[in-house]
Amino acid sequence: MPEGSRPWHEPRVGLRSRVALSVTGVSFVLSVVVSLTVFAVANQVLLDAREEAASLRTLKNASVVLSTRDISESNPGDVLTALSNLSDTSNPAVIWDGGANSQSLNSNFTADDLPAQLRDRALLDEEAGIMRYQTDGHTQVAVAVPIPNQRAAYFEVTPLDDIADAMSSIRLALAGAVVVSTLLAALLGSWASRYTIRPLTRVSTAAQSVALGNLDTRINYEEYRHDPDLAPLVENFNDMVQALQQRINRDARFASDVSHELRSPLTTLNAGLQVLDNNRSEMPERAQQALDLLASDVDRFTQLVEDLLEISRFDAGAVRLELDDVALVPMIRNTVGSLSRHEVPVVAEPGTEDLVIACDRRRLARILVNFCNNADKYADGATHISVSLHNPDGDDPLAEPTVRIGVEDAGPGVPPDMREEVFDRFNRGDQGGARGADIGVGLGLALVAEHARIQGGRVWVEDRVDGGSGARFVVELPVLQVRSGEPEEDLSLASPESTGNLTLTGEHRALPPLGTTGAAEDS
Amino acid sequence: MSTTILTVEDDERIRTSVRLALEDEGWQVVESETGEDAIARFPTSNADVVLIDIMLPGIDGFEVCRSIRRESDVPIVMVTARADTHDVVAGLEAGADDYLTKPFVPKELSARIRAMLRRARTPPPGNPHLTFGELEVVPQEGEVLRNGEPVHLTKTEFKLLVELASQPGTVLSREDLLDRVWGHGVFGDGRLVDVHIRRLRTKIEPDPANPTHVATVRGLGYKLQG
Repeated sequence: MPEGSRPWHEPRVGLRSRVALSVTGVSFVLSVVVSLTVFAVANQVLLDAREEAASLRTLKNASVVLSTRDISESNPGDVLTALSNLSDTSNPAVIWDGGANSQSLNSNFTADDLPAQLRDRALLDEEAGIMRYQTDGHTQVAVAVPIPNQRAAYFEVTPLDDIADAMSSIRLALAGAVVVSTLLAALLGSWASRYTIRPLTRVSTAAQSVALGNLDTRINYEEYRHDPDLAPLVENFNDMVQALQQRINRDARFASDVSHELRSPLTTLNAGLQVLDNNRSEMPERAQQALDLLASDVDRFTQLVEDLLEISRFDAGAVRLELDDVALVPMIRNTVGSLSRHEVPVVAEPGTEDLVIACDRRRLARILVNFCNNADKYADGATHISVSLHNPDGDDPLAEPTVRIGVEDAGPGVPPDMREEVFDRFNRGDQGGARGADIGVGLGLALVAEHARIQGGRVWVEDRVDGGSGARFVVELPVLQVRSGEPEEDLSLASPESTGNLTLTGEHRALPPLGTTGAAEDS
Repeated sequence: MSTTILTVEDDERIRTSVRLALEDEGWQVVESETGEDAIARFPTSNADVVLIDIMLPGIDGFEVCRSIRRESDVPIVMVTARADTHDVVAGLEAGADDYLTKPFVPKELSARIRAMLRRARTPPPGNPHLTFGELEVVPQEGEVLRNGEPVHLTKTEFKLLVELASQPGTVLSREDLLDRVWGHGVFGDGRLVDVHIRRLRTKIEPDPANPTHVATVRGLGYKLQG
């Protein structure tokens, strides 16, 4: 899908966060609703209970007052005495007839403090009443009991401040519960989402592993077999990798099989050509020309088959690395010296003359020879070979010291935009179209790259160190020491297994990718 | 008497073309299509060199090699399908002196054969008598004595020992030895040297696992000492 056609509101939050947020949100709303309900109910229940208690007590007190005497004729003092004799009249109470005749239990409490509606109903309608009201921010409940035939009423007020206190405690507790349950929900949601998404993480990890070349990677189907949601996902993923692996293996095997099948006829061709060449002098000139053409192409064909076999071994992952202690500089001198062409000086920079590294001797020789062949083909041969030691920068603790072998020539050089391509298969540089007899088949540098990579090294091409015209092909190898010990120690041949061979079958794809990018600036 | 080469190869085309190429070198060629036939034919063939393809119907090249090696020191070249596998080491362990990978060029093959014939025929020049502790090497006689007792070495093992003995105490690299003993070029296989050194040690060292005469010099090669 093209970038532009995506809806602008596409979620930017990850699936896990979304699941966790949803769980948290729902939990928050639920706990708030529950808390509000609990609060309201508790409030109501408490108030109702208190009002009922207040009215019962007021009625009781009123009956005591009534039984005492007739208030209109009595001495206010008696009433007061009667009132003060009541069992629990700590509450403000008053007997009032609607006029001046008012007897208050608390000196600072008068009938004026009562709500007018309650007063009127008790005195005018002679109806008992109960009313909740607020004064100065305090909630209280007033109960009125009319005194029959007296046109007076007994009022008692019960403060509800303690209920308000209790309710505020409950409110606090409920708010705390909301916070705690929301936090718990967030934790739960995050855990649940991680748990839910774990199979996806597994698939992702597995896919990454496959991408790195571990085609044997599978997700354990048994684990998810009983899960109707995940089983198809896992099964399809495994099927996909299986199909991919089969296809890759088939391709690799095909290249290898083809090359193998070409070995026998090529052996016959070579031998037959040799016989023809031995009898060359008896041939007419035209036949000799044809023979030369044939010989040259059979040579190329042979080299191509050998290179294809070599590279198909890399592709099939059937590469056997044979690490050996190699005295680098003598080895390079030997190898380059034995190539029958003009002498190529080997410049050993400080610290490299006596350097012994663990590497695959045959592969290193192949790299050097291919570099030299390449220089022969395109640049009249190598001018010199330099060997230098590079210690890692201090800021990368994982970096190991490396050794660089640079093969320089004085040819046209490699333009910057071609410096990665030259290591591609069947890339033949500018001469790609012209298949002259001296042009190789284009696998040489690709093989060099593979040979270096399998040993944990890399190759690249850069400008000559002196800035002159020409190219510098570099192979960088780690300075590994598989064995340590005395120089005279014999370790290599006590048994076939102790030769330091390292089998990397099927693992080499996991090595870091070939470092040809931007290599020119880090020298 | 001309040189005779026994070739064991099941592919008729290769067998014929290789025969033609070898005959052009002036050598006689005896052909075998199977391992069984080669083993039966070898005692009467007067072969100076045997060329064995590893992949054979019936008994394989390794077995043919072992069988011939049991009765003769004749130089044996194995032909393998690939250089990268255990085939090479297994072939050398079976007693082969050298190996070639298909597709090979006949010139390479004849160069190897010539190097082997040189080894087999000419006693190397040099000191007539070399002594390394209990070990005595008499190049002229083609003889090696240990505590006065003759030690039986193949031609290749003997040549290897003589090359080491000719410069006692000097380190010879694998490449040097490949060049001097086998006549190989730059891609000569170090395993060839290693396997033969190992075999040599089992014959001349008092304790092959802790060699005292043929010493490995880490990263450089081998040297012979007293």
